[in-house]
Amino acid sequence: MPDWKDDWAPMVARVGEDFAQDGEVRWGVDAIDASALRRYVEVLEFDCPLHQGTDAVAPATSFATFALPAMWAPGEAPIFTSGARDAEPERSPLKGTRPQGMPPTSAYMATDFEVDYIADARLGDRLGRRGNRLVQCEPKETRVGRGAFTTWEYEVINQRHEVLARCRFSMFHYVPHAAADRRA
Amino acid sequence: MVDWNEQRHWSDVREGDALAPVAFPLTVYRLVMAAGANRDFNAIHHNTAHAQSTGAPEMYANVMLLQGMWERTAREYIGTAGVLLAIRGFRMKAFNTAGDTVTVHGRIRRKWIEEAEKGATDPARRHRVEIEMWSDNGRGVSVGPGAIVAGLPF
Repeated sequence: MPDWKDDWAPMVARVGEDFAQDGEVRWGVDAIDASALRRYVEVLEFDCPLHQGTDAVAPATSFATFALPAMWAPGEAPIFTSGARDAEPERSPLKGTRPQGMPPTSAYMATDFEVDYIADARLGDRLGRRGNRLVQCEPKETRVGRGAFTTWEYEVINQRHEVLARCRFSMFHYVPHAAADRRA
Repeated sequence: MVDWNEQRHWSDVREGDALAPVAFPLTVYRLVMAAGANRDFNAIHHNTAHAQSTGAPEMYANVMLLQGMWERTAREYIGTAGVLLAIRGFRMKAFNTAGDTVTVHGRIRRKWIEEAEKGATDPARRHRVEIEMWSDNGRGVSVGPGAIVAGLPF
């Protein structure tokens, strides 16, 4: 009987591959503006003056936020296609890269993060994510479900293609135990 | 309240010094604000029923909110002239759920002069500290222990 981990073998075989083709940059939806910056620090009650005023610097930990693409953009197919209370959007940039051959999973969570900060981002900068190299894929069963930990390396750049940060981000994509029990 | 006019200097820092801990009560209200603020709309962070269907006990704080907590805590120590250079070992090992209070702690693990930065435009990049960082909640350490590497004016 094949082991469920065998389903992940195609992904494990692709460790080392950069899934961003030809230096493709996935740009954040908007340039950093005062309103977005204010909201980022507001929930943290973070009153450092560096992050206020007309020459504000973005908190370093906000790069991931400002490099996120839109959930939906004009001309794209709808993402809200079900009226079910807990239905998920059809697409989300938060789900990370899901290459063809990746086993189906219904849940995901961030697990680990490491970053080297190279330069600041300021009001008016537009951030993007360049590169998307899979550096680890480890199938694993945890107390929440079966799936795999994947680790990705990428850079955050600004509109001048200057590198602001080098990041290593890990996620756990999984089938929750309750769902797996239903399938069995 | 932090007096941002006061600046800590590298020469003032001693290995073993503790950062002032910062507490972040996690209410549903705050988690919803966080989703809107940092755009992590994954429903595990604002929908209890959905979070529980994925094996979590309750909706829980997202990675960007938790990282921001570390940044605020470290920034309050290094001041406005300090430079945040790296985050290491940011491992979310337990859920930080609605109803928890997350408290972020830090301690100076080491200080050194980074010779590779000799001649750097910003001298704060040269005088470095490694701050051991961790978050805990009512059930123990939930994030880390990891580290923030920062630079301070001499």
